[in-house]
Amino acid sequence: MSADDAGGGVLGTSETSSEPLYRVTDLTRSFGRGGRVRALDGVSLEVRRGQRLCIVGESGSGKSTLIRLMAALDRPTSGEISFEGRSIVGMRERELGFLRAAVQLVFQDPRSSLNPRMTVGSIVTEPLRSAHLRSALDAVDPRQRLTEVLRAVDLPTDAATRYPHEFSGGQRQRIAIARALAPDPAVLIADEPVSALDVSVRAQVLNLLSDLVAARGLTLIFVSHDLAVVRHLCDSVIVLKQGRIEEQGSAAQVFAHPRAAYTQALLAAIPQIRL
Amino acid sequence: MTLLAVRDLTVRFGRRRLVAVDSISFDLGPRQRLGIIGESGSGKTVTALALMGLLPETAQVSGSIQLAGRELVGLPDSAIARLRGDLMSMVFQEPMTALDPTMRVGRQVAEVLLLHAGRSGGPARAQVIEMLHRVGLSDSERVADSYPHQLSGGQRQRCLLAMALINSPDLVICDEPTTALDVTVQAKVLRLLDEVLTAESAACVFISHDLAVVSQVCSDVLVMLDGRIVEAGPVARLFTAPEHPYTRGLVATSRIDEVPPGARLPTVEDFFPREQAR
Ligand SMILES: Nc1ncnc2c1ncn2[C@@H]1O[C@H](COP(=O)(O)OP(=O)(O)OP(=O)(O)O)[C@@H](O)[C@H]1O
Ligand SMILES: Nc1ncnc2c1ncn2[C@@H]1O[C@H](COP(=O)(O)OP(=O)(O)OP(=O)(O)O)[C@@H](O)[C@H]1O
Ligand SMILES: [Mg+2]
Ligand SMILES: [Mg+2]
Repeated sequence: MSADDAGGGVLGTSETSSEPLYRVTDLTRSFGRGGRVRALDGVSLEVRRGQRLCIVGESGSGKSTLIRLMAALDRPTSGEISFEGRSIVGMRERELGFLRAAVQLVFQDPRSSLNPRMTVGSIVTEPLRSAHLRSALDAVDPRQRLTEVLRAVDLPTDAATRYPHEFSGGQRQRIAIARALAPDPAVLIADEPVSALDVSVRAQVLNLLSDLVAARGLTLIFVSHDLAVVRHLCDSVIVLKQGRIEEQGSAAQVFAHPRAAYTQALLAAIPQIRL
Repeated sequence: MTLLAVRDLTVRFGRRRLVAVDSISFDLGPRQRLGIIGESGSGKTVTALALMGLLPETAQVSGSIQLAGRELVGLPDSAIARLRGDLMSMVFQEPMTALDPTMRVGRQVAEVLLLHAGRSGGPARAQVIEMLHRVGLSDSERVADSYPHQLSGGQRQRCLLAMALINSPDLVICDEPTTALDVTVQAKVLRLLDEVLTAESAACVFISHDLAVVSQVCSDVLVMLDGRIVEAGPVARLFTAPEHPYTRGLVATSRIDEVPPGARLPTVEDFFPREQAR
């Protein structure tokens, strides 16, 4: 996709106040009887427009839980989340249009997030037909957009007529990415979006995301356990551990001088080719 | 002696008979650890599912797969199902699809164990909890009592690993077994895999797009592209002196950390015009 595609800038990024795009305050989410599992425990953070924030942390540290809350797919046990200055906690679905129009999500497990009875073509263009986006995207030709995004993630055009189960794991992950990018969102929240991709396709998707950030000011909230990817793509990092923020800062700073023991262990454990 | 001999294995799908795996052949000795790397969509998972007899009905398989001297192609489902418990197991690429959403995961792991050993309930629970612990799930009791949707991505992936290893099979097929794990947990899981394979003298087919991980786990590698094996050999040779231009591109693009942050990352196409392969 290039900078002059249709649809650029229509999705509500006009406001230029100093108000952060997301403000998360003291967020807690517990699960189970008596809140036995504290998946998130008093997390506060801010996300600016155009920021490229990466969330890292060990398995089970609360990364997916956090972004599900930020996408208003789940409700916190306590705490506050505002998007564009408006609280989204406790809002009804029909009031969330302003969020749904701006934010797209790529889930961690692509297979369970793609409707098995829909063709890839209708899965990818579904966000274009959603009520929140239709008016903003009037000028967009869905078929042309479909071809563009499939090409951008290196899927063959004939993929559109096939069903999700007919694809490989990495191809399904790319279908999910194409779907999220189709409406040209202002914010992309992605949970391990490149973890199942071979190195070359991964490079292609990361280049695409970098281009979108540069050309459109896309805001990126990215969950990854791959520190090489994080260092390449993101400008700031949050390290979660057992539901709490263990460390945060600019990517350069966290990589050069990791403070938390967990961050140091993560950096030390990056596998190298060993012969 | 070979444990697994694959000859001219071909898999086609559907009425259009699209070729996903195109006449591949390879051998695996006992205790050997063979990596499979290659492009997304090149046929790695389909090859693994063919070995396990788990392809969907729309797939047409031809060629030969011999496991410990027994021909698997054409064997009825019931016969293959028995081998799956005893001789071979698999860690699936997408954990959610391999787990039953309506059953607590501890019970799912226990069923694999009981199916194999034919033992009764009592000690199974203890064994399951211990296995979950060994794959790095420190709160293994809670995990065992959870349904799949109550677990994180990495927790699910490790439950599958526990299921695949608990019966000590002769052949373990791992399809991207650590994609959802951070590097510290990954290191732990790979150590466990090594322990179990060594203790049981088991062989392993290890599919991964992480060349560093492959170099640590495997002695030999196959490189797949468009359903074919384009190059095969010992890890040390293949990663230092790759012969096929696709492999050269793959090795050259694997080092993201050598590219300045934000700069354009090289892709295989920079090294290898894609059309050449077709
Ligand atoms: N619906 C639920 N019910 C009970 N516990 C849950 C539920 N969802 C998540 N959890 C628990 O909350 C914790 C955080 O889970 P989460 O999915 O946010 O982890 P994560 O950081 O994304 O991990 P991974 O890297 O493995 O995907 C885990 O211990 C998980 O088991
Ligand atoms: N059930 C199916 N029906 C039709 N085509 C299929 C089916 N399963 C896989 N394919 C096709 O077969 C080819 C090989 O798929 P496979 O899953 O083996 O790829 P892979 O090498 O594992 O890729 P990845 O690294 O993305 O997981 C792909 O082009 C895929 O679209
Ligand atoms: Mg997660
Ligand atoms: Mg696969």
